[in-house]
Amino acid sequence: MTQRRSVSRRLRRGLGVIGLIGTVLLLAAVAFFYSFTFTHLDPQVAMLHAVKEMMEHVALPLVVLLVPVTVMVLRVIRQAFVPLEEAASEIEATRGHERGFRIDASHMPAEALPFTDAVNDLLTRLDEAAARQEAFAADVAHELRTPLALLSLELDRLDHNDAPRLKKDVAAMRRLIDQLMLLAQIDADAAAQIAPEPISLVNVASDVVGSIAPGIIAEGKMISLDIDEGTPIVNARREAVAAALRNLIENAKRVTPVGGTIQVRVGPGATLAVRDEGPGLTPDRLRDLVQRHRRADHASKTGAGLGLAIVERIMTAHGGMLSTDVATRELVLRFPEP
Amino acid sequence: MIVRPRKLLKDMRLLIVEDNDRMAALLADGLQRRGFVCDVALNLVQADEAMASAQYDAIVLDLGLPDGDGIDWLAGRRKYKQMPPAIIQTARGALEDRITGLDAGADDYVIKPVEVDELAARVRALLRRPGVRTQPVIEVGTLRFDTASRSACVADRKVDLSRREADLLELLMRRAGTVVHRDAIENALYSFNDPVTPNAVEAAISRLRRKLDEAAMPGMLHTVRGVGYMLKDIQT
Repeated sequence: MTQRRSVSRRLRRGLGVIGLIGTVLLLAAVAFFYSFTFTHLDPQVAMLHAVKEMMEHVALPLVVLLVPVTVMVLRVIRQAFVPLEEAASEIEATRGHERGFRIDASHMPAEALPFTDAVNDLLTRLDEAAARQEAFAADVAHELRTPLALLSLELDRLDHNDAPRLKKDVAAMRRLIDQLMLLAQIDADAAAQIAPEPISLVNVASDVVGSIAPGIIAEGKMISLDIDEGTPIVNARREAVAAALRNLIENAKRVTPVGGTIQVRVGPGATLAVRDEGPGLTPDRLRDLVQRHRRADHASKTGAGLGLAIVERIMTAHGGMLSTDVATRELVLRFPEP
Repeated sequence: MIVRPRKLLKDMRLLIVEDNDRMAALLADGLQRRGFVCDVALNLVQADEAMASAQYDAIVLDLGLPDGDGIDWLAGRRKYKQMPPAIIQTARGALEDRITGLDAGADDYVIKPVEVDELAARVRALLRRPGVRTQPVIEVGTLRFDTASRSACVADRKVDLSRREADLLELLMRRAGTVVHRDAIENALYSFNDPVTPNAVEAAISRLRRKLDEAAMPGMLHTVRGVGYMLKDIQT
């Protein structure tokens, strides 16, 4: 493994070499000028005298010159790199809000400008590519709805043993399309930078649980809402938060057996939690599901992971996070305290 | 075995406004098989003509129509005419679009592609709401409630109810299939000056549930703890 090249280390080494070469050259010059030879240094006294002379007139001036030069150069170099370090931490801080980010080049040294300009240009192109991709996905999802609606209606007329099974498949497709449209909407909102507004988590949870409950009861399952002390208000986009909670409940519904209860909880603090009667998700598994669908190299038939990826996206867009608690079998949406 | 009269729904006339003629025909067919009478309008001009010539109980409205936007048309008509309740059927999935539709005077919305069962259930729920055409009798499955005499019966067997229980049952029946929030029940059942004990609603619900269970209708009244209650036909 080769050592990464550090500018300061190279400078230190360079200045050291200059000092050495300078000393040797000076010695050589002095020897040549005064026509010294080694025989002149034969007696011990002459040798000592020569060494003393060299220390005073060669080594000392060199040290006096080189030390401040080294200190100053290192200082200049370090200061020149400060804007780069700042840019790096700014880039790191954009995690989750990458869209539209550009490196601020105003404090950059002129030498770094071509590099930052190139990176910013790359970011612009990446943003455009992402936007094109999203628009395409949204268009496809949108266009798919009409044929799917027709298919679903035709199936409704079909009096055949296979009809219910086919209807289920169409319903699954419909859910996937809904998720795709939702994803496109979240991205569009993020790009348009729509300002969040104060919303009550209790209010949102109560609406979502109320509207989703009939479907859960129809499957012979139950759902309940618990409200912890206080009524947390968060700054968020209401429809997006509702969609995130709905996704978590849909997920919980899949793993909860008939007769089981899905428990939704508001609080403590600015949190929403959904507990199901499934085995619970380990943090690794959750990260896996979210990541896999973010990379879009795998799609589950049920869209379970896609749903969670969307929840994660909504949460990051709100500066919050999606986490899992294996002990309580809960998925938790944590919002930043306003 | 008592045959349930279905004439209530048979009377219900729907106007389907949808520009895709195949979709419109399939929707009309599906809803007709579920007991509604349906007319189809392929654009807003046809919709206006249909509205002028017949009395509809509800409208199923598509948004993107060749001669205009469904929402604008609805809002325009609502301004100066009595309009039947409308369900917006939209391919737009945008989160805020739904709210815009409801603001413009739509009573409900469904997102395409819609299941006929879901649409039929939404229309039925819409028609149970108090409003344009008041129905003397509301029915949910074999449970019937007479709004005039404030009495209920299950398969022609009378269920004895107190005034408050009758109010509660009517409220739940009008919104059958959906969860009625606790606050809404409290507001509807207890006037402002009435002292409401913390568990008054629970007590009323549990009395009503017992009576429904005794009347051979077990499992109709569901509790969504922390949110509210739902009355639901056992079959659907």
